[in-house]
Amino acid sequence: MNTHQPVLTIQGLQKRYGQATVVDDLNLRVEQGEIFGILGTNGAGKTTSVECAQGLRKPDAGTVRVLGHDPIAERSALRGRVGSQLQDSQLPDRLRVGEAIRLFADTSTQADRALERWKLKPLARAPFGSLSGGQRQRLFLALALLNNPELVFLDELTQGLDPDARRSVWKLIHEVRDAGATIVLVTHFMEEAEALCDRVTVMSQGRALATGTPDELIDTYGVGTRVRFTSTALDVEWCSRIPGVVQATQSGSDVEVVGAPTIVARLGHGLVERGMGDVPLRVAPSSLEDALQTILSAEEVAA
Amino acid sequence: MSVLLRLYRSEMRLFLRESQVLVFVIGFPVITVLVLGGVFGTDTNDSGFEFINPSHFYVAAYFGVVLSAIGLLMVPVRVAGYREQGVLRRYDTAGFPRWVFPTVQYLCGVTFALVSFGVLLLAAQFGGDGVPELSDAPATLLGIALGTLAFVSLGVALGMFYPSARAASGFGLTLFFPMFLLAGGGPPPEALTDTMRSIAAWMPLTHVIRAAQEPWLDIGDGQDHLVKVVGILVISTVVWLVRSRQVSRAL
Repeated sequence: MNTHQPVLTIQGLQKRYGQATVVDDLNLRVEQGEIFGILGTNGAGKTTSVECAQGLRKPDAGTVRVLGHDPIAERSALRGRVGSQLQDSQLPDRLRVGEAIRLFADTSTQADRALERWKLKPLARAPFGSLSGGQRQRLFLALALLNNPELVFLDELTQGLDPDARRSVWKLIHEVRDAGATIVLVTHFMEEAEALCDRVTVMSQGRALATGTPDELIDTYGVGTRVRFTSTALDVEWCSRIPGVVQATQSGSDVEVVGAPTIVARLGHGLVERGMGDVPLRVAPSSLEDALQTILSAEEVAA
Repeated sequence: MSVLLRLYRSEMRLFLRESQVLVFVIGFPVITVLVLGGVFGTDTNDSGFEFINPSHFYVAAYFGVVLSAIGLLMVPVRVAGYREQGVLRRYDTAGFPRWVFPTVQYLCGVTFALVSFGVLLLAAQFGGDGVPELSDAPATLLGIALGTLAFVSLGVALGMFYPSARAASGFGLTLFFPMFLLAGGGPPPEALTDTMRSIAAWMPLTHVIRAAQEPWLDIGDGQDHLVKVVGILVISTVVWLVRSRQVSRAL
């Protein structure tokens, strides 16, 4: 990965709709070849920020550079170099899949290759209006990537897809990145961000609250590993004395121990020592979702 | 193949799949002109038809009816629908130059007008009382050409304001039928009340029809109407240009 040549830079971006500030002093830098996730709650300003980068909206302040160009003033310089999958954007219901591909492809060779690659050939004569949610997303992904763009924006690509279809799309996104494209992924699915993104930024109320790799954010903001088990023993005080344990609570026979990832082995050891080696442990490592909750809660408290 | 040509082909295919377009732009004018021609006959002594064979009077008027179907229904429903569905955003992010979509609407409007004119003439020639001779061919053709551009422009402008395809269709039909009935496609002008004639004088379709009909049938030079048609063309073009800048800023 070349880390010296940013594909997308956003500095001091501000966008207002009337009195409401939707994006407020946003700074981002996306490097070549990475999958960069933009996370946040609904109304956090994710889509508006991406729309500014796509040249669909004019910022009120700040600068946006895509592949070194202003996406509005130098729109023609970016033609064919940027692919976009837009949230809430459709195609005409009567447009057939094959026709849509041919409409957006620069050459018929590219169109044929895309139909083949995205397994859309059997659907070539199907009207857009008759496609299922998964088929539509596959078509949108094919359209976004038709002309081998250097940068691809994917906004809520897997929204409305069942888990199987979502995982198929993830596989496709990995393939696209492996082919050399840089991807900016807007999502509110934490599992998706964790599975796909090299780095993520968490947005709230138009601002970036934290940026880093998913692991960095989990390490910094995650609540720790949770271990749950059932015990009839009256005293589980010993659990809180295990190095790395932050919290140990008991509710009836249910025990929950929270702490560093190293507590799992120590806790297991302690249970074996106490003759409870057969107790099943339910281990939940800290997730990006936990980290996001911590970040957003801290923001709420600060506000 | 250029983006313009690809989009033109795609849009033409989609228009051909719209039953409303085929019915109102091609079917309705042909059927109605034959019915009215049959009802009013070929008597040239009727002052209501300015002493013109009524069949010929209607043939020369129905070019305008075709144009009103294109400008009030076909084009605005398409433009509004695409804005509603976010199709224009998709074209925008795909790098299609912003002038391409409205240009394609012009090209499609003109293509449909030519096809419908052709069908109208064939129907009049073989199913009616024949096609009237062009008394002043250059002025007639100029009237038809400017009328076509004016109504396609009006269609693009209207489409930029309607919030949805459904609204465009509803408003379009509400505008289409009164215009069709009062501006020359319905009863003869003499049968209209003074109020109706006053309203008709304000309708764009009246001037589009008269700008071609008068020189065609030698019942006037159509120049006053032609000036108004040019006015409609200029105003609607300026309106959609200004509006499209606003729309593209908020795609």
